[in-house]
Amino acid sequence: MAKMRLLVNTQTPLVQFLRNPAGARSPAWPAEVDLTRLKEGADYRFSPGGVTRMVYPLIRRLTSEGGLEEAHWVSLNPNAPSTVRLPGMTLHHVGIDPERMAGYGTTKEAIWATAHGIVGKGSSEGLFWTDDATEYTFYNRTTAMRIRELDADLDFDLFYIHDFQQLPVGQMLGTLKPKLFRWHIPFDVASIPDSWRPIFRRYLSAYDRIVVSSDRYRRELERLGHRSDVVRLYPYIDPAEYQIRPGAAEVQAVCEKFGIPRKATVGLVVARMDPTKGQDRALEALADVKVALPDLRLVFVGNGSFSSSKGGVGLSKSERWRARLEERARVAGVSDRVLFTGHVTQAELDALYARSDFTILPSVNEGFGLVVVESWIHRRPALVTDRAGVAELIEDGENGLLFDPDHPTALARQMRRIVQDDGALRRRLVEGGRRSARACSLETAARQEREVFEHLVEA
Amino acid sequence: MTGFGGLSGSDLMLAEVGVIVALTALFAWLAGLVVRGLMRRENPQLAFAAQRLAIAVVVAVGAVLAIQELGVGPAALLLVIGLLAFAAILAVRVPLEKEGARFFAGIYSPFKVGDTIRVAGHAGRVIEINAMTTILLSEDDHRMIAFPNSTFLGQPVENLTPHAWKEVVVPITLAGSVDLAEFENAMLKSLSKLRLRLDPRFPPIFTVRSRSAQGSDVVLTVMVRRPEDREPVLAEVNLRVSEELARGRAAPPKPSAPSTTRPRDLS
Repeated sequence: MAKMRLLVNTQTPLVQFLRNPAGARSPAWPAEVDLTRLKEGADYRFSPGGVTRMVYPLIRRLTSEGGLEEAHWVSLNPNAPSTVRLPGMTLHHVGIDPERMAGYGTTKEAIWATAHGIVGKGSSEGLFWTDDATEYTFYNRTTAMRIRELDADLDFDLFYIHDFQQLPVGQMLGTLKPKLFRWHIPFDVASIPDSWRPIFRRYLSAYDRIVVSSDRYRRELERLGHRSDVVRLYPYIDPAEYQIRPGAAEVQAVCEKFGIPRKATVGLVVARMDPTKGQDRALEALADVKVALPDLRLVFVGNGSFSSSKGGVGLSKSERWRARLEERARVAGVSDRVLFTGHVTQAELDALYARSDFTILPSVNEGFGLVVVESWIHRRPALVTDRAGVAELIEDGENGLLFDPDHPTALARQMRRIVQDDGALRRRLVEGGRRSARACSLETAARQEREVFEHLVEA
Repeated sequence: MTGFGGLSGSDLMLAEVGVIVALTALFAWLAGLVVRGLMRRENPQLAFAAQRLAIAVVVAVGAVLAIQELGVGPAALLLVIGLLAFAAILAVRVPLEKEGARFFAGIYSPFKVGDTIRVAGHAGRVIEINAMTTILLSEDDHRMIAFPNSTFLGQPVENLTPHAWKEVVVPITLAGSVDLAEFENAMLKSLSKLRLRLDPRFPPIFTVRSRSAQGSDVVLTVMVRRPEDREPVLAEVNLRVSEELARGRAAPPKPSAPSTTRPRDLS
């Protein structure tokens, strides 16, 4: 097929700019910036999370394979240059003023919290009639208009829109060209207020194909009454981005930096600081096993998302959640057994995986759970909540240990199981995880995504 | 030869023409204001057309008076204008009729593309409404049936689509100078105040039919809660749209286009 021009749209930008203390779009930034002339860590950093882990490697892979002529990426980034160029890709940033941003943030947090089952659907019933929701619409309209302007110049072949924050964009684009939507967060019809269902159906029907992260979400979309094409593609990572076996010196350095005792048994929890990530469940389980497993330490890695960071939508949810976790640890008498590292570099994360004895994904609800795949490629046994999309890939005792996050004793039991194991279970889990990781590798995903693209563009 | 106040005859004539032109402009402006005020609760597109028509009539009368002042006989002038108008109407009668039908159907017809309707003994899904015809796809998906748009002004039309009675559709034309996102935002805030009359499952939604530098054709759809709310809600929505249009929300400057636009590689 001819090379295609792809437009990607996510809320979270690929890069966050560090050097802009003024807050609003600073005149210090020219309208267009070449990222290769800036310094990572000093001028900018890649956004943590799925956007950087998935979409960016995918675009690079498809470009290097000759499938993409060029890629353009539109995202929300008020504190950034309007246009940023990097090899094979151009980033376009949309900004809205702080008042609108607050309304947008409130609305999308409400959608997110409802989808994750954190708030009852009754309290979200009238969300789309609020003034805040008009800012959600405003942001999406602004984004759609920007995309249309770019399309007028660049004549894209495919629009790839990502996640619930951008859901209305497909309907707003008003183009006959193929539109693909990827839904990343959990999707459970039962948790969605009745009044939202026609809205979701209307917006989803504007897309030619929907991609979801698990078979369960595909069935839920059918239950919603969505009739068009839905395909399940597992999220993925590029193993080449990870240093699977860091040197002993690097591991020792990271242990010293974060104060991890030499002889401790380490359970690693890699997740954004957020109530849905269930760090509190891990703390409760730790309290349950503190006598039985006196050497066990839990290391919590991660801080806020783009939305909850100061440079993003401006909420401080992550700081509040961490303070609550520290208080809970104190009350449960396990303060001396937990460590909070905050944000770590990729090299430090690799070293922490290497130092860990097992990993835990304790989320209350999780769209997929790529950290389990990271755990697999680092050859670490994974204890996984059964509320994660990745859980449908796990056979308990073969490639992971499953637990119900609402029952701390279930996680505590799995902790005892892995820590007190004589080695046979660990070997089985590591080997099973290594095999399962292939289904979630960039290699597999690039082929599948390319097939989805081609299906739409050549249909 | 000099006349009143030392002006020559031709100077005086030009002065009188000037006064007529000025008065015509004033009356045209007033006529526009009056019509807009009278039609505040009508569809904004219809109100705009009526406003333009009122202005055109005043301008035409002013033009006739001004030309008469220049010495052309009114009878000859009116004859020429009448003949030109007659010829023009003959030339565009059919398209005008169809376009008129489409214009009014776009505003008042009880169906849209995608709806299932029954008209003149035929039932089917509306798959196209163009300037001349409305095209139905038969229920077995095998036949296309085209109806001149004028049909829908003279025949009963039955809309078989579930909840079709709830839909109140308001086509709006926005000038290129209006910021669509700001306009939509203001309208959504405004319409949320009618929430008691609207179906809670269907918040108002804008659909952009076309967009260019000159402007946008958008459709605002609201869904009423009860059948008896249709007419008052339509009037209220029209009023709010007209008021918002009158406020005028300027579009922000567009971001600069990428500088590396290249011709497509079609290999």
